[in-house]
Parts: sequence; structure tokens; C-alpha cells
Amino acid sequence: MASEEKGPRPLGDLERLVMEQLWAAPAALTVREVHERLAGTRELAYTTVMTVLDRLAKKKLTERERDGKAWRYRAAAPREELAADLMRDALDRAGDRREALVRFVGQVSDEEAALLREALSKLDDQEQTG
Amino acid sequence: MTTPVLLAVLALVLTGPAPALLARSDWPYRVPRAAVILWQAIALAAVLAALGAGIALSYSIAGRPGEPRFDPSSARDLVAAAILAMVALVVVRLLWAIGRVAVGTRSRRKRHRDLVDVLATPDGLIPGLRVLAEETPLAYCLPALRGARVVVSVGALDRLDDSELKAVLAHEQAHLRARHDLVLEEFTALHHAFPRWVRSDVALEQARTLVELLADDDARRRNGPRPLARALVALAGSPAPEAALAAAKSSTVLRVQRLAGPAPNESRLSAVTYAAAAALLILPTITIAAPIVKAIVDAVS
Repeated sequence: MASEEKGPRPLGDLERLVMEQLWAAPAALTVREVHERLAGTRELAYTTVMTVLDRLAKKKLTERERDGKAWRYRAAAPREELAADLMRDALDRAGDRREALVRFVGQVSDEEAALLREALSKLDDQEQTG
Repeated sequence: MTTPVLLAVLALVLTGPAPALLARSDWPYRVPRAAVILWQAIALAAVLAALGAGIALSYSIAGRPGEPRFDPSSARDLVAAAILAMVALVVVRLLWAIGRVAVGTRSRRKRHRDLVDVLATPDGLIPGLRVLAEETPLAYCLPALRGARVVVSVGALDRLDDSELKAVLAHEQAHLRARHDLVLEEFTALHHAFPRWVRSDVALEQARTLVELLADDDARRRNGPRPLARALVALAGSPAPEAALAAAKSSTVLRVQRLAGPAPNESRLSAVTYAAAAALLILPTITIAAPIVKAIVDAVS
């Protein structure tokens, strides 16, 4: 399957773990602080954390500010806010009808739900008789 | 003068009555793969015929035979040039719409994938699967050349048993493998290329339904019709706050009814549909090309 990712993507998964640290922290964190927080759970190079934070900043998921010689990173928005953005986009509440994602099924009206149950029971009957 | 009229009539029939008639018929749902091709042929033939009508009209108005030079003092030549300019404008507009839809879709999809990657948890059941901690039942895919994702919410997982989940994932993977999103993108671009008061979304709506049927057929071949039908009912029938979204008639009923029927096996209908699609594309091409070929032959002999 050429269109799908092959095997685990360690960096992609790290992005999520790093974001979780930033969301949990009361203030902006330096690379060293993020590294220390993650080092408890897995072995990780300092430069890897730096790369991941840099990538997250490019994706506008984190913001950074200068603190002396170091950069301090914070999440660009609280987790709940990004989750709400994602859901709004996934359900196409903006309704711009771009085919960015393909949903398995949309919601149906009560009337259609009744038709659906009818069709399904027909299918179940076939299973029993056949 | 007959060529431009013929082409214009063909273009009008292919933009108005033909799509309306096709959208009201049931038989395309029995051969979704051929029907997608037919819809693409109709759209492409309509564009070709419309452009061809303009070019042919301009050609038949301009100058007298044997006097191919453009003469700015001749009113006929000016009208002919204006018509050609309009044809060029339509082409530019179409290309612009295609580019804009492509860029817009990709940037929205990229942002969405970035959000999914930091908010949802990977699951090893299939490659690219992400589980989203949301109660709203939701399953969708984010197509991409590399790094495609299938996203399922916890609310959806709660409503599905193992076989139903497998059916949903098979359906989404069929979308990703066949790049159904590219088909939808074409029709979205075409939709945006026309001014608001003439555009219709019949073709786009039909293409949406047909690619769902294609993915359903794929999942059905793998896991049988029942898990998929049950999954559709479980995820669509659940009361959700987004009920307002279903204002437009959904294709869900059609999909479940189709799964309740026998597996589609319509090789003859599908062959006829493919033939119709080919004929549609050949017709305007020949009409445009014939006078040009004739002119060349005349010039050479």
C-alpha cells in the first residue's frame, strides 16, 4: 500500500508526546526542560527533541520566545481548542465542501434512520433464511 | 456554421439535461466504476464541446476563405477575435479553479493531519490508523501520496463490534488506495470554475455517492455485506448534535439498501456504460478536428 505510512514513525509519535508535555506545563518550556520530562519515559537525544520542537513551531502548533540564549516553547493553543478545531473541520461545519477528507458516513434524519433499520432487518432475515 | 451550433447544443445537453437525467436514474449505482468514468466523460466532453463551439464560431465568422490574415478594420475579424479571447478566458478560469481547489484542499488537509498527529493516538490495527478521543461517532480518511491517515473516534469504536470496525477500515482503505479524493477534486474544481448562477452540484453529488459505493463494494468483497451495513447504520443512525448536517439527502439509505441486495455483477451494463463514455469523448473531438483535418488535406492537395 504505497499511499500509507510504512511502519512506525518515531518522530511523528514524538510530536504528540512533546505537545502533551507542553500542554501539561504551567509555563513555556526550554528544550532542556522538555527533554528532561520525556527522558523519564524513554531514551531520547537532546537534538531530537530540538528537531521535534522546531517542526512543531513550523506547523504553528507551538510558539517560541527568546529567554537569554535559549528558546522557550509553549503550545500555540490549549488542547481543547485544537480538538474543537479538528472536530469542526472533520464534520465540515464551515461547509466549504472541499474534499479534504472523506467521511465514512454522515448523519441522517429520523425518517432515513427508519429506512436504514428496515433495510438492515431485511439483510438479517436473508441471513437467517439463506 | 453548422459545426459551432452542433457543438453548442452538445455542450448544453451535457451540462443540463444529461446530468439531470443520469442523476435521476438508478442503473449507475449498479455499475459505480463505469458510472464514475461516464460522469468524467460527460464533464470533459461538455468542456471540450463548449470550447470547440467558441473556436469553430470564431473560425466561421473571421475573414473570407483564402484570406487568413487578421484585419483589424474588419468588424467580422474583431468579433471573431473577441470570441477567441472569451474561449481563452474560460480556459484560464478552469485552470485557475483546478489550481485553487488543489492548493486549498491540500493545505486544509495538511493542517488537519498535523492536528490529528498531535491529538490522536496511533493504533497498529492498520497502517496510518489514529484514534481520536471524541464522543461523536466519526470515521474518515485523509488521503495523501505518503502518510495517509484513517481517523476513528472513540465514540465510533464504542458503537462497532470487531467485524464492523474491520468493514469500516476496509472501506476507508479502499478510498485511500484508489485515491477517490482525486475524482472528487476534479468535480469540485469544475463546480468552482463556473459562475454561481449556472453551476450545479449534480455531478459532484453523484461522484460523492459513487465513490462511496465503490469503497462499499471493496469492503463487501473482503468482509461480506452485513458488517458494513451494520456499521453504516450504527454510525449514521446514532443521535448526534450535528443532525443539522443531514439537511441534504444522504446516500446512506441507498448504500444500506444496496448491501441488502445481491452483490452487483453487471458486466454487460458496465461495458455499455464504458462505450457511452468513450463515444462522448470522441464525438466533440471529431467534430472539432474534422474541419481542421479537411483544411489541412485541402491545403496539401
